Amino acid sequence: MPVALSSDIPPATVIPLQTPSGPMALWRSASGRLSMSADRCPHRGMRLSHGFVRGEALSCIYHGWSYSQDGHCLRIPAHPDLEPPAAIRVATATVCETGGVVWLALAQTESQPPRFSHHTPLRSLAFAAAPTAILVALNGRASADGSMQGELAGLSVILLCAPQPDGTSMVHVLAPSDATLEERLAISSATEALRRTAETALATEAAA
Amino acid sequence: MKLYDYILSPSCYKVRLLAALLGIPLELRAVDFHPGGEHRKPELLALNPAGSIPILEDGELRLTESAAMLVYLASLTSPDWLGRDTAAEAARTEQWLSFAQRLTASLGGARLCEMLLRPGDLAALQAAGIAALRELEAALFAQRLHGEDFLVAGRPTIADIACFPYVALAPDGSVSLDPYPSIRLWLRAIRALPGFIEMPGIHRLHELKPEPVHGAEGEPA
Amino acid sequence: MTTGAMRDEWYPVGLRSKVDAGGQQTMLMGEQIRLRETPGGAVAVETADGRALPVVVGHGHVWTSLGQPTRPLFAIPEADQPGRRLVEVGVVRVRCSPLRAVENFLDIAHFPFVHTDILGAEPHTEVERYEVEIREKEDEVWATKVRFYQPQAAKSASGGITTDYMYRVPAPTCSVLYKTCPARPGEWDVITLFVQPLTEELCDVWPWMALYDDVTPMTDLIHFQQMIFLQDRSILENQIPRRLPLDPGMEIPTRADLTSVAYRRWLKRHNYTYGAQLVAQ
Repeated sequence: MPVALSSDIPPATVIPLQTPSGPMALWRSASGRLSMSADRCPHRGMRLSHGFVRGEALSCIYHGWSYSQDGHCLRIPAHPDLEPPAAIRVATATVCETGGVVWLALAQTESQPPRFSHHTPLRSLAFAAAPTAILVALNGRASADGSMQGELAGLSVILLCAPQPDGTSMVHVLAPSDATLEERLAISSATEALRRTAETALATEAAA
Repeated sequence: MKLYDYILSPSCYKVRLLAALLGIPLELRAVDFHPGGEHRKPELLALNPAGSIPILEDGELRLTESAAMLVYLASLTSPDWLGRDTAAEAARTEQWLSFAQRLTASLGGARLCEMLLRPGDLAALQAAGIAALRELEAALFAQRLHGEDFLVAGRPTIADIACFPYVALAPDGSVSLDPYPSIRLWLRAIRALPGFIEMPGIHRLHELKPEPVHGAEGEPA
Repeated sequence: MTTGAMRDEWYPVGLRSKVDAGGQQTMLMGEQIRLRETPGGAVAVETADGRALPVVVGHGHVWTSLGQPTRPLFAIPEADQPGRRLVEVGVVRVRCSPLRAVENFLDIAHFPFVHTDILGAEPHTEVERYEVEIREKEDEVWATKVRFYQPQAAKSASGGITTDYMYRVPAPTCSVLYKTCPARPGEWDVITLFVQPLTEELCDVWPWMALYDDVTPMTDLIHFQQMIFLQDRSILENQIPRRLPLDPGMEIPTRADLTSVAYRRWLKRHNYTYGAQLVAQ
């Protein structure tokens, strides 16, 4: 499942994500390593995506408890001399990054995420619409790998839709790799228009 | 220079923030906005009949609009922050200063309803706030494509300061910032500016400070 | 949803100074209620269907209950000492369990990260051992001999000091904090958190203080406390689950959390579970 674009998560940052396995925190260490953990500190339940990344650890904003990439608690600032027990850890998930897209492995999948040889990531945006409605608005076609292909601003695009638990979708837009700056801006605007169409169709349907 | 201030007011915070970033000292006069409603009492109404805060006084000059205060502070010491290098840049800065009023009305209104129990149509305010955030996200994405981290240029201007507080505090009005990657990077860029100060609801970027080495404690902070 | 044993407790529902004959509407444990000042100068509270509720006025606030309180409103004798300034901080609404709001107030370990450079700062993060007990006679939770380094402990404090604290939980949604008084060494400043449970996941919080401070303008005192509480609000609205887990296993306490452990145990013992999450749920 596509969850984010690499360019949106620079080193030493953390972002929140909604996934089928619940709320998750995706973070990149100072050295550039990407990790994903449950978005909940086991100490008091605070969302870890509100926390901060120092070096190679993710810390909770509430009490500063910090966690390694494999989810183990490294440090409890209230007890600086204490070696945190191994039992204190956050659940982690497997992510991989290919072609500028971050993918979450759902269940124990053997398959590799799809690669797109002629397209590169542009931007991600939330649609208050389900993927099916987005496909209709795009007038595009769905591939076996879950991506959608179509045209925006007269250019070929690929949309990766991640359905959210609340019925909305996070849409990652891929533009032709050789698109100019002006063409990328045009695709960005056309995606906003596509969103208006998809959301209006939804509203019309709801009213009917 | 004297600022009639309220610690929880994002509009007052704009002025405090820019003054801190530019190194301009302010004398703060706390106004009992909540629960006292002092901004609607005779002493404050005499200064600003509109009954709003902040109010900035410098000698004979008295300002009651935060955008004007930002212009004044930047003009005094740091014209670079005015965002007026070209005709287009000046116009875009003005555009964002006006846009900031939409943020105040929508996200700010939702925040007052949710946090301080002020009356209002919460769902409508939140919807207007989300529409404004979407516009901001699109604009900031376009800026990123141009290689610029801020609203009108590669450097911060008063446009950024005018829009920053109500956006950063959108969750106070139960409007999520989760779906906006470009806004998230922009908020972070502003929070990382040298001299940045927080207000309640906006936490310190603790990652800017190195991990304390235990055993090195004991020195007075 | 059941209000359980908490139904018979007193809850703050407004500042006494703000209640007039015109009245005001609010909510308590899911029920709409109305407060108004009677022609005789007393305060009356009634439910939407006209049932009159018990009322007491104390500690700057109006208190009521949907049930039948068996105890009087808890006393704060220190607050009655002459020379103290009583600070009405006003209401702040928070999307969290009323019990989570109290538990956060009992916690000092978050000061360096949430109230940075005011109530705490790295590297001074260590929480030293302190004492916690459930006082059987008063039926209250107490934490004493709590010490923490603070860069700016109060509006009247300049520079950092190691501050002493005592925490007290006299009612399920109320806590009283006694804290080193910078202006009068040897006395304690009184800082309270009174929480009005609107629902199990929504509350109105009424901080109130009784301080020895003749210098700081009242508005600055109010703003200092609003600043501190609003820094907590963004934490409280982002804890998962929203309700306070009362059974062990869901969250991991350490020695720094002994007050919270005692508070949770005390809540459970009394079946004070409005706003709590139990394993069975």
